[in-house]
Amino acid sequence: MKLFDIVIVGGGGAGLYAAMEAMKTNPGLNIAVISKIYPNRSHTSAAQGGANAALANKAKDDTVEMHIFDTIKGSDYLADQDAVEVLCSEAPKIIRELENMGTPWSRMEDKTIAQRPFGGAGRPRCCYCADKTGHTILQTLYEQCLRKGVQFFNEYFALDIALDGSRSKGLIALNIKTGKIEAFHSRTVVFATGGYAKMYWNRSSNAAGNTGDGQAIAYRAGIPLKDMEFVQFHPTGLRKSGLLVTEGARGEGGYLVNALGERFMSRYAPEKMELGPRDLVSRSLETEILEGRGFDSPAGKYLHLDLRHLGADLIKSRLPQIREMCMYFEGVDPIDEPIPVRPTAHYSMGGIDTDNFGRTIMEGVYAAGECGCVSVHGANRLGGNSLLDILVFGRITGRAAAEEAGKFNPSPITDAEIADKEHEIRSFMRPSGHYERYGTLREELGQALAQNVGIFREASKIEKGIEQISILKERFSHVRVFDTSDVYNTNLIQVLELRNMLDLADTVAAGALVREESRGSHTRTDFPVRDDENWHKHTTYTLEKGRPHLGFKPVTMGRYELQERTY
Amino acid sequence: MTDSTIQHTEDKRDVTFRVHRFNPQVDSKPYFDDYTIKLEKGITVLRALNYIKEHVDPSLTFRAFCQAGICGSCAMRINNMSKLACTTQVWDELGKTREPDVIKVEPLRNLPLIKDLVVEMDPLVGKMQHYENWVDSTMPEEQWGRKEFLVSEEEFQKYDKATDCILCASCVSECTILRAHKEYVSPAVLLKSYRMNVDSRDGHHDQRLAELVKDHGVWDCTHCYRCQETCVKHIPIMDAIHGIREDAIERRGTKDTSGARHAEAFMEDIEKKGKLVEATLPIRTNGMAWTMKNLLPMAFKMVVKRRTPPPPPLVRSTKDIEKFREEFREMSGHVAKDHQKKSGE
Ligand code: SF4
Ligand code: SF4
Ligand code: FES
Repeated sequence: MKLFDIVIVGGGGAGLYAAMEAMKTNPGLNIAVISKIYPNRSHTSAAQGGANAALANKAKDDTVEMHIFDTIKGSDYLADQDAVEVLCSEAPKIIRELENMGTPWSRMEDKTIAQRPFGGAGRPRCCYCADKTGHTILQTLYEQCLRKGVQFFNEYFALDIALDGSRSKGLIALNIKTGKIEAFHSRTVVFATGGYAKMYWNRSSNAAGNTGDGQAIAYRAGIPLKDMEFVQFHPTGLRKSGLLVTEGARGEGGYLVNALGERFMSRYAPEKMELGPRDLVSRSLETEILEGRGFDSPAGKYLHLDLRHLGADLIKSRLPQIREMCMYFEGVDPIDEPIPVRPTAHYSMGGIDTDNFGRTIMEGVYAAGECGCVSVHGANRLGGNSLLDILVFGRITGRAAAEEAGKFNPSPITDAEIADKEHEIRSFMRPSGHYERYGTLREELGQALAQNVGIFREASKIEKGIEQISILKERFSHVRVFDTSDVYNTNLIQVLELRNMLDLADTVAAGALVREESRGSHTRTDFPVRDDENWHKHTTYTLEKGRPHLGFKPVTMGRYELQERTY
Repeated sequence: MTDSTIQHTEDKRDVTFRVHRFNPQVDSKPYFDDYTIKLEKGITVLRALNYIKEHVDPSLTFRAFCQAGICGSCAMRINNMSKLACTTQVWDELGKTREPDVIKVEPLRNLPLIKDLVVEMDPLVGKMQHYENWVDSTMPEEQWGRKEFLVSEEEFQKYDKATDCILCASCVSECTILRAHKEYVSPAVLLKSYRMNVDSRDGHHDQRLAELVKDHGVWDCTHCYRCQETCVKHIPIMDAIHGIREDAIERRGTKDTSGARHAEAFMEDIEKKGKLVEATLPIRTNGMAWTMKNLLPMAFKMVVKRRTPPPPPLVRSTKDIEKFREEFREMSGHVAKDHQKKSGE
């Protein structure tokens, strides 16, 4: 059996950067990237805004120090300050490195990389490439990995870590194109599979595959997850798909209107109106809906984002993308009709608990990007910091794995282990008793989470959510894969993804229930204020007897003392 | 998506999706399945397919990921046109087939079929590797991260649009040459090659170009414009193809063997295209004026430089064109003479 030095699971920004950096650190290593889709399709491509770095190209007085402070404040003081320091001080270097290898950054007059203002940042430090920043970064990294000859195993679905007691021997994965279970015997495994916000399903802006595969695999192997209750909501997702209508629409003067025809933001932010901070606007929309002033449809309640008064010319010239999106995905032309919107889950702050080098508690297992939780985002991520996170920690983790791989000598993965997995997979095709359809369960999971563990949370609702999740898990044991073929069985893949989401949903709900305070994205109506005395700490979850066992970890402080978070 | 999402609203209709099916483990050849579902206005083809998969036939197989037109996974042929299922409204496709309310859905062409609507993407990745579709930075790797290259707006504009490509392979699926020659470089790969070649940070231009002018490369394109008309991101792919050809002639001249082959290809083009009157796509779709304005300047630029004549536009045998063709022959004659002179010197 071939022994890999590093197996990277996930081909988005974090995974590809890790692969590239590992190749650079030691070109002699045997490195593989395993991805359930072609890497250039990864969700990194959907990040439009940009990546923060104190290059000081635009604001000459910008400093790394200010970036650090903005990030810590934005996190509602739950970020680890040493990790934030790494993130922000590496930022200028990594943006330039990407530039040097071909990323087409937009430019300023003086030919340097352009920067623009972004929410929660004291200076314009967001580097961008029009509204396709993530897309161009992902393309660049993929191209560079091809240049360096990284071995790709595309369309492989990672199933589980192969364990030797409490140690990793590598990874077991399903080759989607052939249906074969294959073992990746490896000294180290790096998880970079992205976020888990898709568990909110129709109430999520995420790609269909952001199902937290890496987190679920780590969790099943006994590796702790961290801060899972923190999920960020964006105020204006399209009603049907959850896709984002970017802040630009409100920036240009769009109104948020309820079913009574009121511009309801006057109630919540009389001065800033529609342009209040993201979490406040999200909560306002949710309140309107909860108090019965939303529009009704069987697809769920929603509100209107009205652009009609801006006129066809302005909409066409300044908001062409948004208009196109509404027409493509909602069948609505904002020139003639208001856009149906509601808040949508779009980023998961929590993930696999790692140190500043991406290491988990299991030797030889690492995590990076949205999949990991270092933590640099704490309770709330700042815009422009997610791309930065995947790049900086993707690289650091890749280097750490390359340097440490030699330390591990895993025993081989046996045929029996592979046969076990085959059996497990086959069993989905003939469940006992009645059967369930995955589509229904997936939909219900999204609803259960959005209603009970969504923007507003309170003990009784979260408990209801936990109960619903456990019923869904029971029903999942009867789920049936109807497609029995080996080749490209997407029916099977989607069922496996649902299993991952169900496993993780437990931790999100458990964390939401135990954290009796409101901090960042986590709002408890029964505990409306931040409680530093009791809750200035991370939550961790380890799987024990099928349930998340909760633990706590102190927040690493540094230069910045706790302060109230006001903007 | 629930039944409810689908069924809400005023404007509802029964729509039949005639979907290409093929499971290599059981089927000897592909066939079509009809799925008729009730849909509301405002639903995309991808959402309809998801609905069919979740509620009617879970074995129906297709790729999709972002559902937002940015990842390039869901390209397929819808009513005989390659496009993204997630950005295509069902209502816009109704009435495009002879049978009302029937939408035909097939896999992309020119790539090996795996199952139902899924095709193999590896050949495309292989071509990207072959034509080195990456920036080979003039800055040594050890120096990366210290300072940025200075890039002017003008330099940036040269490749800005090309970086919109999401590698969905819609253009690949519609390319006329690929139908006949699977080895052909492919429009998306030409676009990417061009994007790298005009990047001021790249130091691999000449080698890439040398590969592009070989067999199955840039000279094989027939200028049929199908790729550009298909591109889901509205990228002017033909500008890239023209750009590479122009560049090839400018940098490589006609002195080496492949250079001479260009000239031959051009001449052959003219002759061939005279016969291909039915395939005069640019003119058919863009009109004579457009063709003269957009394709001829390049021709004249080349001629002024006394180099190999450019590829002719695909034209109908109108009087104007006859005249153009005559001029063209004359130009070619000049060039040929130039060559003789040169080699004689
Ligand atoms: S113009 Fe050239 S590359 Fe484009 S479709 Fe036609 S033959 Fe293919
Ligand atoms: S050039 Fe256009 S059609 Fe072709 S792969 Fe790129 S985005 Fe798709
Ligand atoms: S699903 Fe990503 S482009 Fe359609």
